[in-house]
Amino acid sequence: MAPLDKKIKKFLKNSIRIAPKISDKGELAELRTGLVSQYPQTRKDAIKQTIKQMTLGKDVSTLFPDVLKNIATNDIEQKKLVYLYVMNYAEIHPELCILVVNTFVTDAQDPNPLIRCMAIRTMSMIRVDKILEYIETPLRKTLQDDNPYVRKTAVICVAKLFQLNKDLCIELGVLEDLSNALGDTNPMVIANAIASLTEIYNLDESVVPLPTLIQSHFDQFLNALNECTEWARITILTALSEYRAVDSLEAQNIIDRVTAHLQHVNPAVVLATIKVIIKNLGIIDGGQNSDLIMKKISSALVSLMSTPPELQYVALKNIRIILEKYPEILTKELRIFYIKFNDPLYVKLEKVEILIRLVDPSNLKQCTLLLNELKEYSMELEPEFVSRCILGLSQLGIKYSDERFIQKVLDILVELLESGQDSIKDDCCIALCNLLRHCPTNASMSKNVCSLLNAWTSPVTLLQQDSAKCNYIWLMGEYPQHFSTLNDKIDEFVENFSAESTLTQILLLITVVKLHNTLKGSVLQTVLECATHETSEVDVRDMAMIYWRCLSIDDSSALVSQLCNLHAPVINSTIDTFSPEVLEKLLSQLGTISSIYFKPMDDSMRKQLQHQNIIKGKHFDELQSLAKNELESKNNDDILLDFDSESVNQNTSGQNQNNNLLSDLDDLFDFGATSSSNNNQRSETATEDMNKLSLNNTDSSKLNATSLNTDDLLNLF
Amino acid sequence: MGNYFSSMFDRLWGANKELRILILGLDGAGKTTILYRLQIGEVVTTKPTIGFNVETLSYKNLKLNVWDLGGQTSIRPYWRCYYADTAAVIFVVDSTDKDRMSTASQELHLMLQEEELQDAALLVFANKQDQPGALSASEVSKELNLVELKDRSWSIVASSAIKGEGITEGLDWLIDVIKDEQL
Repeated sequence: MAPLDKKIKKFLKNSIRIAPKISDKGELAELRTGLVSQYPQTRKDAIKQTIKQMTLGKDVSTLFPDVLKNIATNDIEQKKLVYLYVMNYAEIHPELCILVVNTFVTDAQDPNPLIRCMAIRTMSMIRVDKILEYIETPLRKTLQDDNPYVRKTAVICVAKLFQLNKDLCIELGVLEDLSNALGDTNPMVIANAIASLTEIYNLDESVVPLPTLIQSHFDQFLNALNECTEWARITILTALSEYRAVDSLEAQNIIDRVTAHLQHVNPAVVLATIKVIIKNLGIIDGGQNSDLIMKKISSALVSLMSTPPELQYVALKNIRIILEKYPEILTKELRIFYIKFNDPLYVKLEKVEILIRLVDPSNLKQCTLLLNELKEYSMELEPEFVSRCILGLSQLGIKYSDERFIQKVLDILVELLESGQDSIKDDCCIALCNLLRHCPTNASMSKNVCSLLNAWTSPVTLLQQDSAKCNYIWLMGEYPQHFSTLNDKIDEFVENFSAESTLTQILLLITVVKLHNTLKGSVLQTVLECATHETSEVDVRDMAMIYWRCLSIDDSSALVSQLCNLHAPVINSTIDTFSPEVLEKLLSQLGTISSIYFKPMDDSMRKQLQHQNIIKGKHFDELQSLAKNELESKNNDDILLDFDSESVNQNTSGQNQNNNLLSDLDDLFDFGATSSSNNNQRSETATEDMNKLSLNNTDSSKLNATSLNTDDLLNLF
Repeated sequence: MGNYFSSMFDRLWGANKELRILILGLDGAGKTTILYRLQIGEVVTTKPTIGFNVETLSYKNLKLNVWDLGGQTSIRPYWRCYYADTAAVIFVVDSTDKDRMSTASQELHLMLQEEELQDAALLVFANKQDQPGALSASEVSKELNLVELKDRSWSIVASSAIKGEGITEGLDWLIDVIKDEQL
């Protein structure tokens, strides 16, 4: 029989617990007592509270060991919550994760497939090395599971394991299981196996023979295609696009089997299908058949244009790639790319790109219609859009390439210039120069354009963009006879020489050298000096040097006149195109992010992006001490954590901690200060270096100048 | 809200209250086998427990929450996470493992010094009695220095988890002590 006082104490303790007491230690302590409560319902409530705090972004990682205690339960809801918690905080407490291993292994054999699946998924998700050691049995079991839901998850887990620990994954031999999963009866499993294999293949090409696997399983893929979800379809279609058909018959077969998916609601499925079709289109026997397929693709693309603007944007980007390969595909559908007033800017810009590319240069009616459209667009308000449309006008004119049509374009541009504000002058200037470069022989046109631009009083300040200034200067160099105030304008540009950017400087240099016979005063001398002394740009300086030398050679007139009479080549199109290699790559990556940036995915780049942050190589004693510290600091943690939410910071027990914290903060600031001062020093030294460099520059230029002089002298002799 | 009330009622009537019992001991002592002997009455094939097993069993109208913690050196430091609110500790010793008796004794005494375990009853199973060369209960008791324990109800029972001998006897004693002292 126990002593009476002990009994009374126990009774009192229990009866006090009847009323939920508000802990003075704060929320975390309250949650902790809840988590280890003797009553199951209280524990569950506490877990829910903890997860709630977690999703609110509060750090509840200190409760890790206590939450872990609740993982072994038959209540699936509670289990799910604890798994969620473990997933979230495992990386903060890698050493404690070992306590969960047994539960993972047991759960992976649970009669309930949901739990089996959850266990293997969570286990492979936790980036803790220690846990991975025990993954073998559960992973093997789940890969061979009777339930497809479990199998499809396990298949993905292989890829995760591979990413976390490649050697272990190879050692376990699960990659063979993964390859076998391609022959599974369930389409979802097949799709996930493909996704998993692709992921592994991207990480290391030597481990899985993905291309041969695809080659040998493509029949299964085609069968699985019709029975799975949209995401799985995308994966399978992507794999199919890697498949090389052996002959035209097989290619035709593949196209026939996938064509139905062109009508899918998900644009990604549609794009993936187009990718497969395009891949096989080159192999089949052409003629009527391929025309029919083209029609189908075209109607699929048209239907993409009735999606929300974000999807439209992606579709437009992809259409641009497809158009480059098959320019004739959408010519009849020009109308659907006309801009609607409520399109977002990014869609508008992309639509202009498509319109310009799509219009058929042999169809006058269509071109005229588009011209009028573009004219309308140029009156809009958004500056980027207007600028794109003005450029589009010139592109259209060059594409149609008929004098009367170009005249029309010119008229529109002039009209715009007269009515519009200064901001469009940049773009109009570029557009006009582009048109002139397309037909340099048209004398009346060049005269008109030049007189128009000559009327601008101060082009230096009027034009903002670098390229616009370049075009203006080029025009002056090309048609000096049409510029009545040529000297003033050049002078103005030269005055501003050092403030201009490199391109403008170079063009100014070229133009002045070209016109040095017609220009009055010492403009040439000034420009050459500016270009050699006042710029730090090597290109400009070198160019100036070469010109200077050429001009100082005695019998230079022939050479100089040759230099001056050079003309820029005639341009036939100002529409950007892809190089053939890039185009092929982009076509095979339709519907991926690279199709939006127009940058083909580089495998080596991709590998660099893979980051692995597993906690590795911690030994037992290390883990032990970690655990001890962890548990000892538990109480302190409470205070530290309450510190920011409650007024415990005046508490005497918290004082020490606060001091520590403050000194830590001081340290931090100190560090910041020193580092910034370091930075300052660094920047100082950098500027010094720069100064030295520029000194060197001037020195060398002086040297060059003297050497030039000596050259001259030598020439004299 | 409903949960709140139900948990209030649970507390008022003492229903659904679970008693926490820990099964500790060195690795390979037979802790998991004992747990499942208690739970399903059968011998299960076990693997080293990395982490823990926990089962709830009803015994003499009491709900027992029995925790079987892994005994490997790497997991022993985490035992202390589970000490709070423990009604009793079952310490399992492999009676044939004479070399590690001292280690077992060390771990046992270290554990019993913990503040949170001051009120907990202690039951020692001198396990694996079915094997030849097993020490008897009194020999194990001597090796573990059990006589030194003051202020604590303790008992040692010779057992064989494989054959199912001694397990229920030990548990009966434990439940009686808990009922006496703590309820």
